Amino acid sequence: MNFREIWHITGTVYREVSFQSIFSLRAGSTLPQKGRGSIEQLVKSAQINIIISKILTAVFVGTFGFITFLPLMEQTFYTGPPKDLALVGSVSAFLASVLFLIVFMGLQVTTSFVSSKIADTLSPLPLSKRDISSIIFLCFVRIFDAPLAVAAITLVTVYFLVGGSILGGLVSFAAVIATECFALTFTVGLARFFYARVTAGGGRSKLKTLMRFVFMLVWILPTLGAYLLVNFATYIVESFAVFTQSLSSFSNLVVLAYPFSYGFLVSFTTFGVNDYLVLGGSVAASIGYLFAAFFSLRWLTRTIRTIGSGGIASTQREKVKDTIIHPQIPWLGIIRKDLRIASRAPSYASLFFLPIIQTAILAVTFSSIGDAGPALSFGILTGASMMVLLLPTTMFSIEGLGSAYTRSLPLKKNTLITAKATLSTLVYAVSLVALFLVALYLGRDFTYILIFGGIYAMSIAAASMLELVILSRKYWKEGMAMGNLYSRLSTFILILLPGYVVAWIPIIAAFTAYATAPTLVEVVFPSVVMIEFLIMTIVVLREK
Amino acid sequence: MQQSAVTIEQLTVNYGTFTAVDNLSFTVKTGEIYGLLGPNGAGKTTTLKVLVGVLEPRAGKVEIFNTPLADEVAAKSQIGYVPEEVVLLDSLTPREFLEFTASIRKLDANTVNSRLERLTSAFQLTQYFDTPIAALSMGNKQKVAIIAALMHEPRLLILDEPLVGLDARSSKILKELITFHAKKGGAVIFSTHIMEVAEKLCTRVGIINQGKIVGEGTVEDLRKLVKSAEGSLEDIFLKVTEQEAGMQDVIKALEEE
Repeated sequence: MNFREIWHITGTVYREVSFQSIFSLRAGSTLPQKGRGSIEQLVKSAQINIIISKILTAVFVGTFGFITFLPLMEQTFYTGPPKDLALVGSVSAFLASVLFLIVFMGLQVTTSFVSSKIADTLSPLPLSKRDISSIIFLCFVRIFDAPLAVAAITLVTVYFLVGGSILGGLVSFAAVIATECFALTFTVGLARFFYARVTAGGGRSKLKTLMRFVFMLVWILPTLGAYLLVNFATYIVESFAVFTQSLSSFSNLVVLAYPFSYGFLVSFTTFGVNDYLVLGGSVAASIGYLFAAFFSLRWLTRTIRTIGSGGIASTQREKVKDTIIHPQIPWLGIIRKDLRIASRAPSYASLFFLPIIQTAILAVTFSSIGDAGPALSFGILTGASMMVLLLPTTMFSIEGLGSAYTRSLPLKKNTLITAKATLSTLVYAVSLVALFLVALYLGRDFTYILIFGGIYAMSIAAASMLELVILSRKYWKEGMAMGNLYSRLSTFILILLPGYVVAWIPIIAAFTAYATAPTLVEVVFPSVVMIEFLIMTIVVLREK
Repeated sequence: MQQSAVTIEQLTVNYGTFTAVDNLSFTVKTGEIYGLLGPNGAGKTTTLKVLVGVLEPRAGKVEIFNTPLADEVAAKSQIGYVPEEVVLLDSLTPREFLEFTASIRKLDANTVNSRLERLTSAFQLTQYFDTPIAALSMGNKQKVAIIAALMHEPRLLILDEPLVGLDARSSKILKELITFHAKKGGAVIFSTHIMEVAEKLCTRVGIINQGKIVGEGTVEDLRKLVKSAEGSLEDIFLKVTEQEAGMQDVIKALEEE
């Protein structure tokens, strides 16, 4: 089969994966209940959603590329570290960002890629094993095509914009290609490990539970990396350069480490050689990484087929000792179910951890200012609320899984809302604990933020309840099929906005009081929070 | 005395502009096993999904033991449901899934565990109890759904093609359980394409075609309807659904190919 034919089939398979990425995971089996026109519209929305996701990652990569090289573009008033070291920092930071962003995106889509079991559909057709492998591999690459292309183009472009050489351009190109191979391999490697070792074989033993928890942490590392890189882009470049400079005596060793080896090689091909030993090290390491990229690509093409066939799930089983179950009260049962699902679905797991990490990062960032007074405390709480309030929609979307069955259970709307709002508030509470630990470590006084933060939990609960009331009123009757929510950004925003408004009303009220009569802050803030909580509790109780 | 378990009056369900169920009415009483038969796409699954609250009808009245379906929680509490396409929470194990359904149904741990032990043992599911549902075979997934439907001893069983994928042993056990459930005063509605099973098991059948009931009653009643003294349920079904007429020609044409 020639490439054109394979490419043509890949298009169909890719569309199917795009479609399933939204509907088989998020809408359960509620799809056949819709009218034909409605399904066609949803298919279109799914495709648009995938394109938007690709474009967003591509824009992130492109923007980050320009930001990291921005200081070097300044020819006249450049005041940073020596330019050759700054270039090492910029190239290394960019390569690291490409690695993290592609892995971050990859981990979100691999679940649907695995669940689609495309090889099972292709295998009975008169296609050779080689053709099937090629189709699956190309389909996998197509998921990332825009970010991969943009990463390569960006690095080469910005490199020439800062006055790079032809040889340096070629090295940059090779470096970004190697990075992309590593990123895809890392994604597939993590997914393979996850499905074979963590999700398979059941989950009753303590070891399995611990492994799932550890893996949830591993899974969010790319998320965290991407977050840090995007938020602290310029700071990171400078840190990379300063770090490299501080390790000048160890540069012979640093130069061997990825991505620094490429950073050094690009710098040498741009500004000339000042240390032949370091040059030798960077050349040898860069060639070594190119070979590693080549072999990782070969491993990738072989492995991707197993992933596409869903054949990586281990068949190992734990010995079952009994069939005892421990039913809880309904809302607690929902929370336990949600946590179990999240521990096995990376896209959910990362969202549960993100608010906690973000709060800790905010605390570290703001702590440089000094002890957290009321104004700073409210600033940190605003940041925390923004992340936490993304959770109710995600948790509600879990209800779409298997909804064709679970809808038949005698579940009250208010039970569901209580469970999800409690879990959101719990994640927020864990964020506060993280904040407390940061304060302890830094030796700062975070008393204000902890007191206000504790009270603010009620506002977070109220905002979560409001989002969930809107969601349940909108999606309850159609089986909580949330696929269409994710494919319609405007609807998604219209659900988030009221939540943010509820969360920010006490903050605005407290700021206003702080500006006009500071002594009233301690009265105004808790009062507004409590009123919100009471109103929303009454609203939820009325939901049957 | 027989009590009304299910009352459906003038039920209409639409998918966009397509009418899947059209003005459908029937009742099922306690002690009855009601078979819902019909060709593919006739509206059986749609009807059953409305009964369990998975689908919203466009019009019509539905009551479960005289409780309107609008009173969702009260109505659903009395039902055990096995869907046609078993899509459960695949990342959970059967233990976790059953724990979740038992929590929603507010079941007492002691009562449910003794029943659960008997059911898992009967359906030979014990060894898969801690295996993710996604890794189970279709038959074993079906068993999980069946156990979830029976676990709370519901008064009404709604089973949509429950025998598909089951091995002979489990199939026999389920059929016995269905019969026993009806004898104890419960009610059962189940859809199937296996006419022999329906003929042996059901006290009454309803034949549905293009969203409408085209024949209803005991097998004897249906024989009278089609004026055939000895015809099997399969023959009756083909006549009632008007599929018999052109069928011989189609078979002949295929054989001549």
